[in-house]
Amino acid sequence: MHNPDTIIACHNLEKHYERGGEIVHVLESIDLSLARGGFVALMGPSGSGKTTLLNLFAGIDRPTAGSLMVDGQDLTHLSRSQLAQWRAVSIGYVFQLYHLVPVLTAYENVELPLFLHDMSRSERHLRVSEALDAVGITDRHAHYPRQLSGGQEQRVAIARAIVTRPAILLADEPTGDLDRTAAASIMELLGRLHSEKGQTIVMVTHDPATATHAQRLVQLDKGRLVESSMVRS
Amino acid sequence: MKLLPLHYATRNIGRSRLRLVLTAGGSALVVFLVVTASASVRALDQGIRASGTVGNVMLIGAGSEESVERSEISAATPIFLAASIRGIKSAAGAFFVSPELHVPLPLRRADQAAPADNARDLVLVRGMEPSAFMVHPQARLAIGRLPEPGKSEALVGRSLAERLQISNGDLADSSKAPAILLDKVAFHVTGIIDAPGVSIDGEAWVPIGDLLVLTKRQTISVAVASLDGAEVSDVEIFAARRSDLELAALDEPAYYASLAKFFRPVQILIGVSALIVALGAMLGGLNALDAAFAARSREIAMLQVLGFSRTAVVITLVQESLITVATGAIPSILLAILLLDGLGVRYSMGVFSLSVDAACIASGFSAWLILGLIGSLPPTIRCLRTDIPSALKSDLG
Repeated sequence: MHNPDTIIACHNLEKHYERGGEIVHVLESIDLSLARGGFVALMGPSGSGKTTLLNLFAGIDRPTAGSLMVDGQDLTHLSRSQLAQWRAVSIGYVFQLYHLVPVLTAYENVELPLFLHDMSRSERHLRVSEALDAVGITDRHAHYPRQLSGGQEQRVAIARAIVTRPAILLADEPTGDLDRTAAASIMELLGRLHSEKGQTIVMVTHDPATATHAQRLVQLDKGRLVESSMVRS
Repeated sequence: MKLLPLHYATRNIGRSRLRLVLTAGGSALVVFLVVTASASVRALDQGIRASGTVGNVMLIGAGSEESVERSEISAATPIFLAASIRGIKSAAGAFFVSPELHVPLPLRRADQAAPADNARDLVLVRGMEPSAFMVHPQARLAIGRLPEPGKSEALVGRSLAERLQISNGDLADSSKAPAILLDKVAFHVTGIIDAPGVSIDGEAWVPIGDLLVLTKRQTISVAVASLDGAEVSDVEIFAARRSDLELAALDEPAYYASLAKFFRPVQILIGVSALIVALGAMLGGLNALDAAFAARSREIAMLQVLGFSRTAVVITLVQESLITVATGAIPSILLAILLLDGLGVRYSMGVFSLSVDAACIASGFSAWLILGLIGSLPPTIRCLRTDIPSALKSDLG
């Protein structure tokens, strides 16, 4: 039975790879339930499986076994194209290296996912303006990525992730490529999106200081869930 | 299915100027080559076929293996033909029967030095009478006058005139008319023949008596007659009855059609040569396009993470490839029209005029489409095969 307050629920989730004839167990028996409107940090050492788990939540990777419900959708039964359609509506994804399109301006980068929705030009303009405003980068809307700092690029990437008003914002090491000041500024922005707009955020990080911005910590080690604790209410 | 905006594809074209220049250059070369080959093959075929006139019949030597240049028939044949066949076209009492002698001879301007390397610049020289213009309506005396027998005078086709740098202005004053050397004998040019698109445009015409003397021959090559009521079969019967003349009657359009077939290997050679060079250039273009797309594997994966389907991404890559190739292909087609259309190309029988017609342009556009589609094939396959997490981690970009 699906609980509307639970946005992600997985049971016995496993992910194996075959590499050089050997089976690599990346995730094993993950049982996890994340609440809607929460801010969760997935932590763990390198190779612990945290990015793989995030990719499973985003529907860009498939589990080997187990069940996975995200925003009321059983992802294990969706085809590749159905997953793409679902992602366009439900998921906003922030990459460590921003992955902005270099030949598009900040505005156009943010506008890109809106082409997946039936929207008029004016509706798109309104959404993009709101998103750029939310991340505080409106004055840089006509700049190309090469004309922006790392922190500004990540703000544009966050605007692109939230412009579709997704159910979940997934962030893979969003401050991993930034200096301390820019990292703090990005975490402050994510915190604000969570507290002011009630955005559900699941973030991968290996930095304990970054993880303190989250409400809940989920600790992984060698593909297993080792600890799940509330940092603050 | 939701597609990426077109400006995503168009902006990416200018992402690397060097790659754009290389790809555009390669595609321009391929398309120009394809249009040139197509125009050459078609012009050669059409030029030969257009040299035959419907309703004309040719009488050539029975043992000449259907080659006018090898043919030898009695100089009296045209007189016998006109007297024996009812239904030959006539006007003002003159029959449309043309005795002709076809001889390839070295030809150059008299005031120009002979080639140092003894290269023989052969041109088809046609010994003729004024009736030649009656049976070959494609030929028109554009300027000047007919050459007079015994005065070493000649006409030249427009393409030949251009090659010899003889213009209409040169013929305004007959006393200053340029001379040409036919096998080292000087002939004054008295006029220029316009015969666009047919082999006559590259020929020199001289009075048949003068050419017989020059070549020390007593026989002519062919008698061409325009029929008006008579059938080719009537002429065939005439040829059969006059076995003493050793004649073969041929329908002129059929003769030129079979001649066009004789040149089929040349046409195939042109096509194959163009194809080989085009393939080489195509592989170079493919390499540039593949490298351009491979460097964007992370970006392509990011687009899929946003929710764009693989099909949408593939369509965008194809669009981008087609536009990139078009930057070279379309100017190349326009350049081909500008440079090639109407250009005269010499071959053993004379000159054919290139015409960049709709079919040639269509072949250029086909080459563009094939290049664009094949160019996007490797990245498309990569896009379809690579899973998103691996692509996001790829080192290529």
